Amino acid sequence: MKQVSIVKKLLQKLRSAAIPFVLLLLPVAIFAQADSAKKDAPAAKEEPSLITPSAEFTGIQKTGDSIQLKAVLKTKIKGSFIKLPLLKVKFLQVIDTATKELGFVITDQMGKAVLNFKVDPLTAGKDGKLHFKAVFTGNKSMEPAEEELTIKRARLEITAAKEDSVLNAKIKLVDLAADTPIKGTVVGIFVHRSFSLLKIGEGTTDDNGEATVEIPNSLPGDAKGNITLLAKLDENETFGNLEASVVQKWGIPVSDKLEDQPRALWSSHPPLWMLITFFILMGIVWGHYIVIVVQLFRLRKEEPHTATIANT
Amino acid sequence: MELNTYQQEAFDYQRSNIEKFGKKNLIWSIFFLLWIMVGGYALYLQISKGHVVTGMRDNVVWGLFIVNFIFFIGLSYAGAIIAGLLHLFKVSWGKPIIRLAQMMTLISVIVGPIFILLCVGRFDRLHHLFIYPRIQSPMTWDVLAIMTYFVGSILFLYMALIKDFAVYRDAKMNIPGWKQKLYKILAIGYRGAASQKRHLIISQNLLALIMIPLSIIVSSILSWIFGMTLRPGWHSTIFGPYFVLGALYSGCGVLIVAMWVYRKMYKLENYFTDKHFTNLGYCLMVLSAGYGYFTFSEYFTDWFGSAKWDSEVINKLFNPAQYGWWTLFANFFGIIIPILIVALPKTRKPNWIALASFFMVIALWVKRYLIIVPTLETPALPMQDTRIAYVKYSATWPEWALTFAGIATFLLFFTLMSKFVTVVPLSDLEDTNHHHAHHHEPVAIKTEEIQTA
Repeated sequence: MKQVSIVKKLLQKLRSAAIPFVLLLLPVAIFAQADSAKKDAPAAKEEPSLITPSAEFTGIQKTGDSIQLKAVLKTKIKGSFIKLPLLKVKFLQVIDTATKELGFVITDQMGKAVLNFKVDPLTAGKDGKLHFKAVFTGNKSMEPAEEELTIKRARLEITAAKEDSVLNAKIKLVDLAADTPIKGTVVGIFVHRSFSLLKIGEGTTDDNGEATVEIPNSLPGDAKGNITLLAKLDENETFGNLEASVVQKWGIPVSDKLEDQPRALWSSHPPLWMLITFFILMGIVWGHYIVIVVQLFRLRKEEPHTATIANT
Repeated sequence: MELNTYQQEAFDYQRSNIEKFGKKNLIWSIFFLLWIMVGGYALYLQISKGHVVTGMRDNVVWGLFIVNFIFFIGLSYAGAIIAGLLHLFKVSWGKPIIRLAQMMTLISVIVGPIFILLCVGRFDRLHHLFIYPRIQSPMTWDVLAIMTYFVGSILFLYMALIKDFAVYRDAKMNIPGWKQKLYKILAIGYRGAASQKRHLIISQNLLALIMIPLSIIVSSILSWIFGMTLRPGWHSTIFGPYFVLGALYSGCGVLIVAMWVYRKMYKLENYFTDKHFTNLGYCLMVLSAGYGYFTFSEYFTDWFGSAKWDSEVINKLFNPAQYGWWTLFANFFGIIIPILIVALPKTRKPNWIALASFFMVIALWVKRYLIIVPTLETPALPMQDTRIAYVKYSATWPEWALTFAGIATFLLFFTLMSKFVTVVPLSDLEDTNHHHAHHHEPVAIKTEEIQTA
């Protein structure tokens, strides 16, 4: 009987303790419910749909019959574009009805695949045009993608000339199919900087397909004073992208060696006074701690053999 | 361990608190634990969904968490300074309250930094603070200073407890074996031998001596996190002493409230006497005046200078449509009321002083909010065409839940600690009250009598 009453009392106590517990957890339960409701929603079984990639395909004609082909693979998910890395992109050249594989490249983290190659001038059609294809054959989760590119053969040349202490970049633009100069086209002149290209001028080609752009003599160069001048024709309707570059000793030599930074608040080396103050302060405090801990050890060692018992 | 009759009386009076946990304490502890669990759920949400569940955005990157951090860490510094001063100057009336001050020191320095961890977005990069420290950064100073201070706080409390641990060890109390064993270990063989006393007193004096300047330096470093930036309302030369004084002031208030609670709960009227409330009340009044002076000086200089951004912050603080009422609350209950309560003899009573202290502590918490948020809502680079939520801060329920979980942790630690050690220290206790002169003779107060009382 006694045991039963104890059990009853215990149950009563548990019940009374449970009420505040439940009340307190109420907000948690409400929030938890909100989440679980989402989870419990009947998940409609959908067929796994394949990702549809799209390809951006561009080409740049460089000096010496060299061409750079670039394909970028991406896809649109929830309204924004996602770059697709680690995919195999094949580059093909279409000559009449036949196709010739130029090579393949795996896309990088930005979904970019770049192929540089020397083109055989004889593979151009009668109209002087070259036809390329970038092909992604697809995989288990992605559909295939393909893009074509047609480039009309042209040559952009850049030469550096110093005339009466004036520095000039001379540009020449030639249509290779017709072997005629391309006139009335705007070509930009850039110079390589640390992170990107800096535009320093532009010129419009004359009847001879030539243009001259003056180069400032105050540009910082590398340690030897070299600067890389770059002539660029961007997204021309007929010829696409063309580039040509020349290295010239026209810059002010700037050492690429990192200069020793002074000790300062902003540099990676703190001022000496700050270091010294810091270590002195820390030394004082931690020194005290060490002394105190040592004292405690000594206190422990010196415990008398006859213990005094408290008079409780 | 030998105790004199007065100390023995104090021990007999309090031993039941250590021997039994008590129903009320159990209910309180469960209540605190439940709050901590709610906070745990809020933390789970914050970790799983990110800081988007808080009200912190691009502009106002510090909110309630940093307010709580400054508040608790300030309490800790105050505890160390008060306990250090009482110990060093051998203030005999202050001996019963040293334990409370030291408990506040340690518990606050545990709870405070937790809020920093809550505010950090990338837990996984926390170790970078130690791998890539920048000695020039106030953040680095603060991390190292708080760690150093934390070690000091543990030592400080432990030093003061060694003698009492020896008493508990020898007292043959009705406690579980593990607790008895723990007391034995923690007493580190202290038997009250002359050489042992010497080692202990050297250590205690050294530590008290170092804890006072350390608290002041660490509190100043905390203020420099704000003061070293060029933000309006923060970039001020008086921020160091202002923070030290504010910490000391709020700590004094919490100490009075804690004293009042324990006095009621454990019926410690003989130890936490009216004199303690009056004396701490006087401290409160002086600190309040000093704090009021700093506050006025800070606001007046900013207002008079009329620099664009400073004026904007001042306008926000005094505009009733923005923070005006909170500023009024913080200054009325944080400065005026405590002075009045202590100054008037009629209200210079424990209950009144404790009540004033309670509201003052809340007012000083609000003051910390007013230091942090309005400044962050006033960016030096104006933001245009942006969402109002990115400029204006409003704390969300997970932030409040975690704030209350922090307070619950603070109170839970106090409850648990008072079940492990006596709230009134025994070994250094002196009878300074004439009413107790006749109690020097051994007085047999039995545990059962106390419980029925």
